Amino acid sequence: MSLAQWFKTSFPVDNEALVEMSSEPIPNHLKKWWWALGGTPLYMFVVQVITGLLLVFYYQPDVNGAYDSISRITNELPYGWLIRSIHKWSANIMIASVILHMMRVFFTQTYRKPRELNWMFGVTLFLLTLIFGFSGYSLIFEQMSYWAMKVGTEIAGATPIIGDWLATFIKGGEDLGQHTLTRMHIFHVMILPLAMVALIGLHVYLIRTLGVSDLHFKNEPKTEKKTFPFWPDHATTELVMVALIMFVLITLALLFPVHMGERANPNVTPIHIKPEWYFYPVFRWLKLTNLFWGVMGPMIFIAILYLWPFIDRFFEKIAPGKDLSFWIGILGTLIMIVFFLWEILGH
Amino acid sequence: MKRKEFFSSLFAFVPLVLGFLGITKMSADFLSPQRGKAKIRKIFATSLEDLKIGESKEMTDLKGKEFLLIRTDDRKVKALSTTCTHLGCTVHWEQDKNRFYCPCHQGVFTPDGEVVSGPPPRNLATYNTEIIGDNVYIYLKDKEA
Repeated sequence: MSLAQWFKTSFPVDNEALVEMSSEPIPNHLKKWWWALGGTPLYMFVVQVITGLLLVFYYQPDVNGAYDSISRITNELPYGWLIRSIHKWSANIMIASVILHMMRVFFTQTYRKPRELNWMFGVTLFLLTLIFGFSGYSLIFEQMSYWAMKVGTEIAGATPIIGDWLATFIKGGEDLGQHTLTRMHIFHVMILPLAMVALIGLHVYLIRTLGVSDLHFKNEPKTEKKTFPFWPDHATTELVMVALIMFVLITLALLFPVHMGERANPNVTPIHIKPEWYFYPVFRWLKLTNLFWGVMGPMIFIAILYLWPFIDRFFEKIAPGKDLSFWIGILGTLIMIVFFLWEILGH
Repeated sequence: MKRKEFFSSLFAFVPLVLGFLGITKMSADFLSPQRGKAKIRKIFATSLEDLKIGESKEMTDLKGKEFLLIRTDDRKVKALSTTCTHLGCTVHWEQDKNRFYCPCHQGVFTPDGEVVSGPPPRNLATYNTEIIGDNVYIYLKDKEA
């Protein structure tokens, strides 16, 4: 028995089935580069996993050692600064691309029947991405990240009904401390990645089974074929996208490498404090409202996001053809942009 | 569904669901330990000699949080927490504006800890104090075990 035969007997994979699986027909609009960005968060997640695995070899989830271990990674270990910079920038690109992807799905209304559930999985992935960012930032244990963790856990504590339990669960006690850092670490390197992989699997599975929605544009040339094959046509496009995004990622990491901030001081909040950019709108909202609405506002926003496919159906029923969803989406985006800029420019 | 099938399913699923709920409750309790009631302890803070009228002193409570001890009158000493009641940041004393300011969400408090503006829901917390002779005592909660 030859080695090839032995392998085929021991690992009986049907090649034809594999070819069929990878030959999903792709709608023509995905030939446009701009429409081939859906995979970006996934590529960034892979980068996160690889760089995260490297970082976790040296990171110490200990209130007395966390800052020093990151300082060692950044300043002493070979390529440590680059690995950490890539980890940070890929997180930022991941969050930005998830937001852009969601906006694209929202404005092209591809969350409509039968894709409502997949939209909900997508919203959950968006929330997981934000929690990933929050937990990862907390691990650095520098001044800004410590106080971001403080504010974040206090917000959890102000949640109606389950607030006390939730805050204790996140903090592992009454105050921020070793238990909190341990929990953030477990969430960041264990629970969230597992949840993320499971949800990405479900998201992609539903995209495969329900198919990519077919979009058409004005002045589109008429072609006989409405689709093109995934392999090799679309796969090549995706590979070029990967190369391009990696180039952008490496450039950002080289031009704007990470630095160490001031060591965490639980007794003094920095006078100029800002969260990471993706929490700017929420941070501004918290300045404008009382605590109850400060916490309820983002929760209502998330609930609306989850239920949007059904809200949209209701709008279509009461005002058919008026594109209410589109205009509400524009209004929501503008409010987010105003809050975002207000937080950048204000203090 | 036949009666036999129904009871078979019932006997199979009820323990499974109950077991699942039990494990969930156990895990939730394990991960969110209930806090015991903290004991109040009376601790010597300073002597009146070391705190003149109108002066303040920064101190740390048993949980490591800072608070201010302010002598407002001959035999009156106020102990004021510097933790903002909004989302737990530390307030800063701004001498030129005679106010406490929280840098996180722009909460403003008077020198007595009363909310002036911004989102804080309550005045700054105070600790009870007692003066015995020339000594100032403060009542603090025990540090959580």
